[in-house]
Amino acid sequence: MDLSAFSSQFLVGLSRAMILFVVCAGLSFVLGVLRVPNIAHGSLYMIGAFATFTVTKLIAGSAGFWIALIVAPLLVALVSLVAERALFCHLYQREHLMLLLFTFALSLILGDLVKIVWGAEYRSVSPPALLKGTISIFGASLPRYNLFLLIIGPLVAIALWLFTSKTKMGKISRAAAVDREMVGVLGINVSWVFAAAFVIGCYLAGVGGALVAPTASIIIGMDHSLIIEAFLIVTIGGLGNMWGALVGSLIFGVTQSLGVLMWPQFAIVFPYTAVVIVLLLRPKGLLKSVW
Amino acid sequence: MKRKMAIRGFELVAVLLTFLFVFYPASAKAQKPIKVGVIDTYTGPPAVFANDALNGFKLALGEINKKGVLGRKIEFTTRDDKWKVDLGMSVAKELIMREEVDVIVGTINSSITMAISDYVKSEKVPFIVWISKSEHITGSKGHRYVFSTGENTAMAGKAGGSALAKKPYVKYWIAGDDYEYGHAIAEAIWRNLKAQKPNVEKIGETWWKTGEPDLIPYFTSVMAAKPDAFVVCGGGQTMTNSLKACKTTGIHEKIPVFMHTATDHAVLKPLGLDAPEGVMGTMDYHFYYPETPANKAFVKAFQDTYGAPPGFPAFHGYITAHFIAEAYKKAGAVDKEKFINAVEGLVIDSPAGKTEMRACDHQAVLPMYLGVTKKVPQYNHLVSSNIVTLTGKDVMPSCEEIMKARGK
Repeated sequence: MDLSAFSSQFLVGLSRAMILFVVCAGLSFVLGVLRVPNIAHGSLYMIGAFATFTVTKLIAGSAGFWIALIVAPLLVALVSLVAERALFCHLYQREHLMLLLFTFALSLILGDLVKIVWGAEYRSVSPPALLKGTISIFGASLPRYNLFLLIIGPLVAIALWLFTSKTKMGKISRAAAVDREMVGVLGINVSWVFAAAFVIGCYLAGVGGALVAPTASIIIGMDHSLIIEAFLIVTIGGLGNMWGALVGSLIFGVTQSLGVLMWPQFAIVFPYTAVVIVLLLRPKGLLKSVW
Repeated sequence: MKRKMAIRGFELVAVLLTFLFVFYPASAKAQKPIKVGVIDTYTGPPAVFANDALNGFKLALGEINKKGVLGRKIEFTTRDDKWKVDLGMSVAKELIMREEVDVIVGTINSSITMAISDYVKSEKVPFIVWISKSEHITGSKGHRYVFSTGENTAMAGKAGGSALAKKPYVKYWIAGDDYEYGHAIAEAIWRNLKAQKPNVEKIGETWWKTGEPDLIPYFTSVMAAKPDAFVVCGGGQTMTNSLKACKTTGIHEKIPVFMHTATDHAVLKPLGLDAPEGVMGTMDYHFYYPETPANKAFVKAFQDTYGAPPGFPAFHGYITAHFIAEAYKKAGAVDKEKFINAVEGLVIDSPAGKTEMRACDHQAVLPMYLGVTKKVPQYNHLVSSNIVTLTGKDVMPSCEEIMKARGK
């Protein structure tokens, strides 16, 4: 096999993994801190993508995309803040099955809201002029936008790591994930810590939606195809573990793109086979689960 | 006296009531509208196409009902099948049993269409299919009660295969959505291409799951395999995604790309001027082609009513309504069997010219327009250019082939 084809395919897989990572890091964070399996996370990702479309329509030219990259996730954060204060904050003590059903219902409601606001047509966002076309890296050709994703992914990982390990807020959320009652006993307003953690997790879904917008068509239903992959990734990575989300995304993205190159007729099964193998060998996930 | 008056009053009421009973049903029957049941997917991504078809249908009914058909109006009622076969079946039953519709029309999903087609056959209710593209609907699984006013995979495949056979490419890579429609299109294109040019060679195939959002990894792997041409087969959303992946990877600049509905307006419009140029595709309707007065009038009426030009589903919806109206006029009565006899071989004036409903297989004879995507100054999206028209006769299987497929 051609080495440049292999490396180009590997890089494309890595860049796809970066979008998955950004979304899954948010899902995993919410799972870890709040113990909420948020199926509506996919819907927030979809809202992020649709909001990106609207902003790029309002602001013409390349600036539109860059502004959307900031504005769309903030809008998603706002939606999630409303949802958290109105609904989620009353439900944290419920069983997981109940939460699963509740977030599933919410995903259907948000899906319909998106249809009402944006309609059922396909939408598309162009990458900014700077990121159009392809670039050659050591003979491997890579779309410029995918190179941008390769840079963004690690930046998000570093920012999240800094937040959870260096800031007081991050440390409190980690502590709350382990023992929420103790954090409350220490006089910390757990309710607002949870709200903040939820909003941050959902913000990442919005970032993922904004990042995916130039690579795929934006359409109702994009939430459901993503959320299944996202749950698989956080499960193989270790529930609630951010680095686990990164490892899971890399496995998923890279096995998919290399599978396409090596055995195209059966490309669909590759990432799922990887998931099965990981779960057979390490049922609790590759890295330590906080559950 | 008072009692007598009361009796008189009673008699009067009785006479009036008798009159009502005797004459009301008859007069109401004369006024009773022709009822059409519409089943389609109004939830999720396919809703774009389903709504477009319905708009075309409504526009035509508006025109038809101004004069009426056999002194009646044509009314319709819609049901959402939510892309689910069981739901499609249950609403079909409801429309036939409870609503007592005269005709059923729809749907976009071939599996739902096939299920309803089986059911209407046993209930003896005419069913006109307007978007579903499986060739089996009017081909191997066709029967007296099912009709199609849209193109199908056999027609698209023959058009695509014939077009590619004229090109110098030998080594092909085929990719698409991993479901019935994607495989059916791919199979039909390849079958026709191989028949017309036996030396072509398929060097590889790729199938992704339906709705796969990011096709870039799939396209980069095809670039690495370096085929002479790349054929992509799938539904509307996949077409838009594929065009996007073409643009991002630049594959179409290195390897000629054929996507059977790349030139569809619904596929090209979301991408605006960012769609790739030079991608080959086929389509059975364009709002900008043919530039005939009939098509222009239809497009203008549609644009004025709905604020956007019609897509191919709107065209199918529009001709479906006209087929229904003309058939009832020809039949002279609201009777299901007479209606079917009337539709067989019926020719109507459509925006694409005279359109015939072929009697042998109940398939509308539609031309296919072969073209390549191109930017033009008058639109803010790409259009099909260098259009070559393949007539219905060129792309449709013959009646003998259909009868053979049906095992007759």
